[in-house]
Amino acid sequence: MYFEEAMRVLLANKTRTFLTVIGLIIGVFAVISIEVLGHSMAGSISETLGALADNSFVLFPGQSQGNFARAAIRLSDLDNIAASVPNVASAVPVGGASLLVRYEHNVGRFFVSAEANPPFNNLPTAYGRPISDDDIANALDVTVLSWRAYQRLFPDGGDPTGNSIYAGPHRYVVVGVKSKPRQGLLNVTFGGDVAIPYTTYIREFVRGDRIFAARFTVKDSSSIPETEVAVIKRIRELRQVGSDVSYQTFDKAQFTSGINGVFGGITVVVALIGAVSLLVAGIGVMNIMLVSIAERTREIGTRKAIGARRGQILIQFFIESFLLSSIGCFTGMAFGLLAGGAVNSLFIVKLTGYTAGLPYVQAFLITLAFSAIVTLAFGTYPAFRAAGLDPIEALRYE
Amino acid sequence: MSNSSAIRFTGIRKTYKNGSLEVPALNGVDLNVERGEYVAIMGPSGSGKSTMMNIIGCLDRATAGTYVLDGNDVSHLDDNALAEIRLRKLGFVFQGFNLLARTDAIKNVALPLFYAGISSKERTRRALATLDEVGLSERAHHKPNELSGGQQQRVAIARALINDPAVLLADEPTGNLDTKTSADIMSLFDKLHATGRTIIVVTHDEEIAHHAARIIRLRDGLIVADETLPHKAEAL
Repeated sequence: MYFEEAMRVLLANKTRTFLTVIGLIIGVFAVISIEVLGHSMAGSISETLGALADNSFVLFPGQSQGNFARAAIRLSDLDNIAASVPNVASAVPVGGASLLVRYEHNVGRFFVSAEANPPFNNLPTAYGRPISDDDIANALDVTVLSWRAYQRLFPDGGDPTGNSIYAGPHRYVVVGVKSKPRQGLLNVTFGGDVAIPYTTYIREFVRGDRIFAARFTVKDSSSIPETEVAVIKRIRELRQVGSDVSYQTFDKAQFTSGINGVFGGITVVVALIGAVSLLVAGIGVMNIMLVSIAERTREIGTRKAIGARRGQILIQFFIESFLLSSIGCFTGMAFGLLAGGAVNSLFIVKLTGYTAGLPYVQAFLITLAFSAIVTLAFGTYPAFRAAGLDPIEALRYE
Repeated sequence: MSNSSAIRFTGIRKTYKNGSLEVPALNGVDLNVERGEYVAIMGPSGSGKSTMMNIIGCLDRATAGTYVLDGNDVSHLDDNALAEIRLRKLGFVFQGFNLLARTDAIKNVALPLFYAGISSKERTRRALATLDEVGLSERAHHKPNELSGGQQQRVAIARALINDPAVLLADEPTGNLDTKTSADIMSLFDKLHATGRTIIVVTHDEEIAHHAARIIRLRDGLIVADETLPHKAEAL
């Protein structure tokens, strides 16, 4: 009954109702569409990171320093660190070279990189097997191809294992192919396209004993940050360098928290936009409710004369405010979901192949919260004003 | 005190405060209206007529004195209790009809029952029955702007009757109607009186007042005449 009456009043003043809720529509539209985009972007990024092993980290010399040469990590440091830092399970070199890779007439430029066991990324293999301990122990000339390299070198498809490819002057037997990564928004692959045992890499690519970077796996992945500190401390001792030389580490958690920081920033901005539009639109709602109450003063007087209690008038106008804000907020939500969904499927899905579901429940809850806040903050005063009208004055009102 | 009193005023005073100035509106009114009486209240503007009607209608409280409505002392009730009294014991008919726009007759009539918390089905049933009582059952689903002035006032009367009030209070009920329609409405009041309703009409139209069985005249906040008519006017 209250809803029915409120609906009748709002429909009787369609133009006014529409103009009043435009602010809410725009505000909620902005918040919901960005929410949808953020949701699918975050989803696509975590998809990317999902392939990165989370029990390892990479150590490399700071990139912007003059004495880069002094900082260079040496092969001999790896065993030393593995033996002296308790949580380190293994230490392998990271590095590679971009070479022309050829199989029969198919050629492509790919990154030939050092691979260990467990591998750099944890994608399963589509064909064959990953690099094994045996491959590493014997520094065999074998390789595991990325899906991208496989498609280029073996365009006809089929199981390529057992065939030989050439990477520059080197010949490797294909033993496996990694499955297609779910790329996510960031177009990056972890690990190279032509992965060879790191021992093979050392033999054929490392001149002297300087390496580009080192990768460590840990026994307890919950203490990666502490282990990173310990490893940096140890490499300083081994290189006998002071605080003028810097080292950096990189792990999945760092990357994730960086991404989350960006999204946190976006969320704050969106929340601010939402708050401002809420304020402006809410004032509009309050204004129109006060106008509506002034216009209907006699009606309110009549209702009171008939026997409506204060609380019943209060509820009536509260519901009218709520309906007004809900119409605006939920229209905004519908447009926001449409726009966010459209951008999502036109751009993000096309670019990344990652399909995120629309966050319906979240959007609904946000919208409901918006309506409730607007109603409480801006519908309360008008409702109390209506309920507090003196029936005699109200009946006399022209 | 008679048990059959619908309205009993004892020394009712009403003083309005206008800043520091006290303006008296009613100066100690004693009045007894029996159940089933048909009373007209008359008086020039400023006589306290409206104040008296507001107090009888429980829209306002007297400054001093006792008001017993249908056996209940309502002199000192708070706003919500007065609302409850208006809901259960009183029916209002206004000069301007005061129907809800864009709301059909049956919903308008049923409104008091909604505030009384009665179920939708029961509301519809009783509203239809009451509309029938005022001869408008075939217009139940018309909105006020689809009804003539007389029909609108009949809807308003039905709304006033739906809670079976102890007193039906009409404030210039024909003020917005032409002569012919006024006569129709007044004959409806006559009919309601004949079925035993207690009716109070506030008016300054002598002809309207003469439909009542008793005329009370106010001047300067006091009752200056209280005449019982031997017979009612036959027609206008």
